[in-house]
Amino acid sequence: MPVHEPVFSLKNTHFRFPDDQENILKDLTFDIFPGERAVISGPSGCGKSTLLYLLNRLYPLNCDGILSGSIRLFGKRAEDYAPGEINHRVATVFQDPDSQFCMPTVEAELAFTLENLHVPFKEMESRITDVLSLTGLTPLRHAVIQSLSGGMKQRVATACALIMKPEVLLLDEPISHLDPLTAKQFIAWLDGLQKQFGLTIVAVEHRLDLWESFFGRDIQLDADGHILADQRFAPRASVKFPKRKTALQTDRSLQVSGLCTSVNGKSLLHPLSFSLQRGEVTVVAGPNGSGKSTLLKTLCGIYKSSGGTVESDGIGYVPQSPEYLFLTQRIKDEIAYSGSSSPKEIQDLMERLRLTDIQNAHPFAVSHGQKRRVAIAAMLADKRQVLLMDEPTSGQDAAALQALAQLIAERANEGISFLIVTHDMEFAAAVADFVLLIKDGSLTGKFVCEELWANEELLASHHLLAPKGVKLRAESFA
Amino acid sequence: MRNLLHDMNPSVKFIAVALSMMTIAFFFNPWTPLIFWMGVLLFQVFLSRLNWKVWALFMLPFTIGAFGYLWTTLLFGTETGGQIIWSFAGLDITAEQLETALSLSFRVLAFSTLSLMFAFTTDPVKFIMSLMQQLKLSPKLAYGIMVGYQFLPVMKDEFTQIQQAQRLRGAVEEKNALKRLLDMRRVLIPMLAGAVRKAERSAFAMEARGFTGEARTDYYQPIRIGRIDFWMSALFVLLLAASCLGGIWLS
Repeated sequence: MPVHEPVFSLKNTHFRFPDDQENILKDLTFDIFPGERAVISGPSGCGKSTLLYLLNRLYPLNCDGILSGSIRLFGKRAEDYAPGEINHRVATVFQDPDSQFCMPTVEAELAFTLENLHVPFKEMESRITDVLSLTGLTPLRHAVIQSLSGGMKQRVATACALIMKPEVLLLDEPISHLDPLTAKQFIAWLDGLQKQFGLTIVAVEHRLDLWESFFGRDIQLDADGHILADQRFAPRASVKFPKRKTALQTDRSLQVSGLCTSVNGKSLLHPLSFSLQRGEVTVVAGPNGSGKSTLLKTLCGIYKSSGGTVESDGIGYVPQSPEYLFLTQRIKDEIAYSGSSSPKEIQDLMERLRLTDIQNAHPFAVSHGQKRRVAIAAMLADKRQVLLMDEPTSGQDAAALQALAQLIAERANEGISFLIVTHDMEFAAAVADFVLLIKDGSLTGKFVCEELWANEELLASHHLLAPKGVKLRAESFA
Repeated sequence: MRNLLHDMNPSVKFIAVALSMMTIAFFFNPWTPLIFWMGVLLFQVFLSRLNWKVWALFMLPFTIGAFGYLWTTLLFGTETGGQIIWSFAGLDITAEQLETALSLSFRVLAFSTLSLMFAFTTDPVKFIMSLMQQLKLSPKLAYGIMVGYQFLPVMKDEFTQIQQAQRLRGAVEEKNALKRLLDMRRVLIPMLAGAVRKAERSAFAMEARGFTGEARTDYYQPIRIGRIDFWMSALFVLLLAASCLGGIWLS
């Protein structure tokens, strides 16, 4: 293949889903050449992933979408490929580590890919051995995929993509479920692989700060689905948050002592003690699988504690998917459900949380940010003054994160306490008074943010990275 | 020896089990199912590594069911005449009645033991793969079932989590069983909404790896039919013949 021929070539491409009135992607024109590392960025819902699915031909066939303009893959019109034909050359790694696999073990999953490609039996063994040693996954050959951590699952998914010997690797927000250190290791690993094979990489991502200077080219989409800019990639600063003034009050709102949990005889949480004050915002951080979510679930009673005491002003819980909480057909009923607030209080609450306009909508039919506000309102209406939030930042774009930070700041000023599980240390730096570090089910301690950011060793041992803003400031002082 | 039932090709085992059941169903004497049941039990003792505790637990409902069949047939079975062998509190039990009752309950025991033998000695993943390789089950269906099988534990977790999150909101558990069943939909709707999204993502991931649903040319782990399968099938046929002939001869 001559070097100058583009891998992907789009010309005046428009695309819309059959049920929509408006195009989601508008007038896209760009070429991607072999060996390029391009990133497609833009706000949530701008059609980034849709664009990626057009490049590997999952769309338009799978959604009956309506396409106009031309898409050429390796110089041939996309519609002229037979189903599955292009996937040998263009491999994809998706966002969710839990729903990319159909076989129980790593070896069987790799074999599934080879069988799809009609690779002769004689070649299979050597290709599996090769890709495992190449990706450093040889020790995991017979591991059960569901028992692996999120970071390892993403590596397995990448190995499954590479075993096809593709020319292009498409990545759909591959690090959004990983803790910062694991994400960084994944990116470094990918960097090595790309250099070795000269792969073309096209990724979709809205959190670009962790990627540093991995990419060479940046295709930005705007909220309407136009190309906003197509330029050399410049390392991106992380999301800017307004500095929050602490709203700490002197009264205790939560006192935990000696709390521990075990499920089926396996100890998930070793006895730990801490307290929260009114208006305090504390972030819970630690590696994937260290027991952060378990802590929240034990505090609010979803998991039974096996010892210790919890005294509080009423604990509310907002899961990562807020819809888990919803019981009624209308947002208004949802907030009034508990019956512990007067109609006037509910009215007031809805106004403060900007829910008045959507009060008659179905709770499942609103945006993710709105769902979370409904969940918080429902908890507050039930007079729960301590709110536990599980991973509210995961998969959120800049605008959503800023809205979340503001929401938390406003409630903290009203005297509500927050305990928030997140990997996002930029976010923690912006909203938190303290950070609670957890590792292997034990509490390492409760730290004042500034002290923690200065202690690189402590951060690294909990798979965390100091927020960029703080780091830059420290470097400029040095 | 103890691994023979486990190592048998799942499709061959499946056919052997299905054929045995169909054949036994045509014999109405009590001896055929009794001999067959004893035979299957012997197979399990000598040719498999069963966990007998678990097995006993699973057999419990079937045993109760078999006992129930026995009693109801004895007490309420239609009067067929013949020699009365036992009279009790005004109820006459004839020889023919006893025979039908025993035949029914042995049949329940034989069929349940046979099914449990299949379930306990067969790896579900291997079974699906074997159905696809030997019995030409379409790969689309086979891998669809595989994905569903991987999802099961995740769905179970999600179900309890949603239920508990809703309990936290103050959703009370209804005492009335029917109402509780209706309340289930509050848990099922969010769970199924999530499942649909997951299923779509899985389908995309599979298609992106070149899966089109067409038949494959080579398998990495072919599931073969070998000598074991031949001898084991012969053993099943032997047992079947013995129980059929034995039944005819004894009754």
